[in-house]
Amino acid sequence: MTSLMSTDYDAIRLSAQVAIAATLFSLPYGFAAAYLLTFVKFRGKVLLEVLVNLPLTLPPVVVGYFLLLLLGKNGWPGSLLSDAGIRLIFTLKAAVIASAVVGFPLLVRSLRIGMEGIDPQLIKASRTLGACWHDTLLSIILPLSFPGLLAGSSLMFARSLGEFGATIIVAGNIPGVTQTIPLAIYDYASSPTGGSTALALCLVSVAISLAVLFLHELLARRVARGE
Amino acid sequence: MGHLQRLLLYLFVLLTAASSAGAGEVALSAAASLKEVISELSDNFAKKNPGVKYVKNYGASGALVKQIENGAPSDIFISANLEWMDYLKKKNLADVASIGTFTYNTLVFAGAPGKASSMQDLIKLERIAIGSPKSVPAGEYAMEAFKKAGLDKQLEKKLAMAKDVRECLMYAERGEVDGAFVYKTDALQANKAKILFTVPQELYPRVTYPMALTVAGAKNKDAAAFFGYLHSDAAKAVLTKYGFAIH
Amino acid sequence: MQLTMMASKRFGEFTLEADFSVNGERTGVFGVSGSGKSTLVGMLAGLVEPDCGKIVLNGDCLFSSSARINLPPEQRRIAMVFQQHALFPHLDVKGNLFYGFNRCRQEHRVIDFDALVGVLELDDLLRRSVKNLSGGEKQRVALGRAILANPRLLLMDEPLSALDDTLRFQIIPYLRSVSEQFGIPYLFISHSLVEMRLMTDTVLVVEKGRITDQTGSEQLARNRMGRSSVGYINLLELHGMTERDGMCAYRWDGGELLLSATNRDTESGLFELSSKDLILFKQHPEAISARNLLRCTVAALFESGTKMGVELHCGDGKLISEIVPVAARELGISPGCTVYAACKASAFRRLSARNPSKK
Repeated sequence: MTSLMSTDYDAIRLSAQVAIAATLFSLPYGFAAAYLLTFVKFRGKVLLEVLVNLPLTLPPVVVGYFLLLLLGKNGWPGSLLSDAGIRLIFTLKAAVIASAVVGFPLLVRSLRIGMEGIDPQLIKASRTLGACWHDTLLSIILPLSFPGLLAGSSLMFARSLGEFGATIIVAGNIPGVTQTIPLAIYDYASSPTGGSTALALCLVSVAISLAVLFLHELLARRVARGE
Repeated sequence: MGHLQRLLLYLFVLLTAASSAGAGEVALSAAASLKEVISELSDNFAKKNPGVKYVKNYGASGALVKQIENGAPSDIFISANLEWMDYLKKKNLADVASIGTFTYNTLVFAGAPGKASSMQDLIKLERIAIGSPKSVPAGEYAMEAFKKAGLDKQLEKKLAMAKDVRECLMYAERGEVDGAFVYKTDALQANKAKILFTVPQELYPRVTYPMALTVAGAKNKDAAAFFGYLHSDAAKAVLTKYGFAIH
Repeated sequence: MQLTMMASKRFGEFTLEADFSVNGERTGVFGVSGSGKSTLVGMLAGLVEPDCGKIVLNGDCLFSSSARINLPPEQRRIAMVFQQHALFPHLDVKGNLFYGFNRCRQEHRVIDFDALVGVLELDDLLRRSVKNLSGGEKQRVALGRAILANPRLLLMDEPLSALDDTLRFQIIPYLRSVSEQFGIPYLFISHSLVEMRLMTDTVLVVEKGRITDQTGSEQLARNRMGRSSVGYINLLELHGMTERDGMCAYRWDGGELLLSATNRDTESGLFELSSKDLILFKQHPEAISARNLLRCTVAALFESGTKMGVELHCGDGKLISEIVPVAARELGISPGCTVYAACKASAFRRLSARNPSKK
C-alpha cells in the first residue's frame, strides 16, 4: 500500500474539520427550523418545508453553483461581504457552508422525528406550570430532543465527509486549505499513476463513515424507543 | 439461447468492441489547450474529405491517458507534455512509428491587471489557480517553475487545483482566484484576464505537444489521413494563427 | 373561588358552548368522553383559544374576545393535573416537583415544600427517576407538582381514570386533603359519579358541548338514579371487622352489617351498595335468606326518572333505596314511617381498604 503524503493527511484533517464545523454551525438553525415545523402553526409552513428539503433533491453541483452566485463577488450577499473585506469563495468557510447547506435537510429531518416523539401533554404541563414558550423550548423540548439531535448530527457529519459537488465549485480544490478527502480522491483518480493513493484515501473515508453511521444507528434506535 | 441471453451477449460484444471507433469516424483525445485549433483543423479537413465524423475529447493530458488505458475509444492522441506520451508508449497503446511533435507553447500567468508582474510577486497573492500537477501538464510545468524559482514552499497553501488548463482560465476570468498559470494561447482566448507576465523559459522545460496514432487508430484509414493533415503546412498556418509556436 | 365563563369553540362538526358561573372551592365537571369537558378545561387553562367569549376568574379577566385579552397559560396561575401524569422524564421527582415552584413569583410562593411532601408521602421518592414509579406514585407527584406551582385554581382532568379501582380510592383522600390543607380551589373533571360525590360539592354537567345542569353532587347522583343501570351508589364507611358465622361483621354509623367472607382481609374501608340491592319490607319478615335486615325510618321520597328514591335513616347512617312508584303506593311508604331494608352480604363491593393487610 502506498504511504500517504502530507497533503493527504491534510485532506483527512480538513474533512474532519469541515464536517464538525458544518454540523455545529447548522445546529441552531436546524433546531429552530425543526421547532417551527413541529410545534408552530403559521401561514406558509409548506414553503419552509420545501426550502428545507430542497438541497436534498437538487444535485450538489447545482447547490454549489447557486452558492457561488450568491456568495461570489457579484452576488447580493457576496458583494456586501466583499465590501466588508470578507472573502468566502475558495476558502475553508465556503466548504463549511457547502456541507452545511447540503446536510441541513438531514439534520432537520432527524430533529423533527425526535421532536414529534415528545408527548404534547408535557408541553401543555410545562406551560400551565408557568413556563413561557421559550422557557418550555429550553427546559423541556431541547433536553427531550437530544437523541434526535445526536442522530441528526451524526447523519449530517457523515454526509459532510462525502460532500464533493457543491464543495469543489464553491470552495475549490486547494490542497492544505479546502481539499477534503473526496476532492483529493478526485485529483488522484484523474491521474493514471494515482490509483493506489486514491484507493487508500477511499478506505479511510469508508472507515470514518462506517464508524459514524454505526453511531447514528444506535442513536436512532434510542429515539425510536422514546428514551 | 433465450432472448434475454442473446440480448446480453449482443450488448457485451458491443461494449467490448467499442475500443475503436466505427468506420467513418475518427476519435481524437487532445489536450484542453488545443480545443479551438483542433476544432478548426477538423472542420477544414472535413470540408475537403466529407463522410467522416470527428469525435473530439478535450481534457487534461493525464486524464485522457487514463481514459484510453481504461478502454475509451481513441485514434489520435495529442498530449501537452512528453511525460504522458511516454506513459502511453510504455503501456503499448501508442503506435510508436507515428509519434511526432505537433506544436509548442509558452507558459504565462494571467489574471486581473495589476495583480502581479513577476514570479516574485506571486507570494503576495492569496489564490493562484494551476492545473492539478497529477494530470495536467500546465500544472506540472508551473510546479517546476516554482521549484526552480525557490517559491514552492511559500506558495504551498495558495494553489487551487483545476482539472484542466481551461478550468484554470475560468477561475481567473471569474475572479475566484487572483491569477492562473495557463498557456499563452489560452490567455489570448480570455476576455477579462490579461497576460500579466510570461514565465521565464529557464524555469521549466519547453512546452511540447507530442502527437501519435493509437494502436487502434493506426488501423483506421480515416484517422491516418487526418493525422497526415496535422503535419501539413496548412495545419501549421492555423496553429500560428492561434498563437502556437511551430519550432 | 369565583369563576364565570361564557365561551364557545368550534371543531369541525362539534361546537362547545360553555356558559356558567360557579362559586366554591370544590367544583366538578361531569360528562362522558366526547362531551367537551376537556376542551372546556383547555380553554380555562389557556391551552385552547375560544372562538369568542369571556372568562373571568376571581375578578381577573383571563380571556375576552371583545377586549382582545388572551392571557397565555403561564400567566394564568392555573395548574393542571392530567389523566396521564405528564411528568417530565428527564427530571427526577424533586426536579418535577420544583418545576412550577421555580417559575412562580416570589410573592405568590405560599406552599411549604416539606409539608406538601409529607401530606403526599413523597419523602422516599424525591431522588428517584420518574420512569420507575408506580401509577399511583406518578399521580401523587403530578399532584404535588401542580400544587407547588402555587396556583389560584387547580384543574384536574380525569386524574384518576387511568388508575385501577384500588388505587383510585387511595388517591382521593390525598387530593382532598392537599387542597383543603393548602387552600387551593379545584375543578375536578370526571365521568365517574362516585368520584364526583367524593371530591366535589357543585357539579357542572356537560352533554354534547353544552352545560345542561349545575347542581350539587349529591343531588346529581339522586337525579341520575332512575336512568342509571347501577342505581344510586350508597357509599359506606365500615370499620372494626370481626368474623362471625363464616362472614365478616362490620360496624357503621347505622349499626352493624354482615358482608361476605371474601372481605376477610379488610379491617375497615369504603364500600359501595347499590340502591337497587336494598329491598324494602313494610313488616318485619320473619325469615329471610339475606343476612342484613335493617330497621329504618323513611326520611324523604324523591322522584328520579321512572323510579322513586327512598331516603332511609338507620341510626346515624343514611341509605337510599330505589323502588317503583307503584310499590311505594302499595306499601304506603311515606316520610316518617318505618320500613325494613334488606340486602345480601354479597351485595357490598369494597372500594378501598383503610388498613389493608398483607395478601
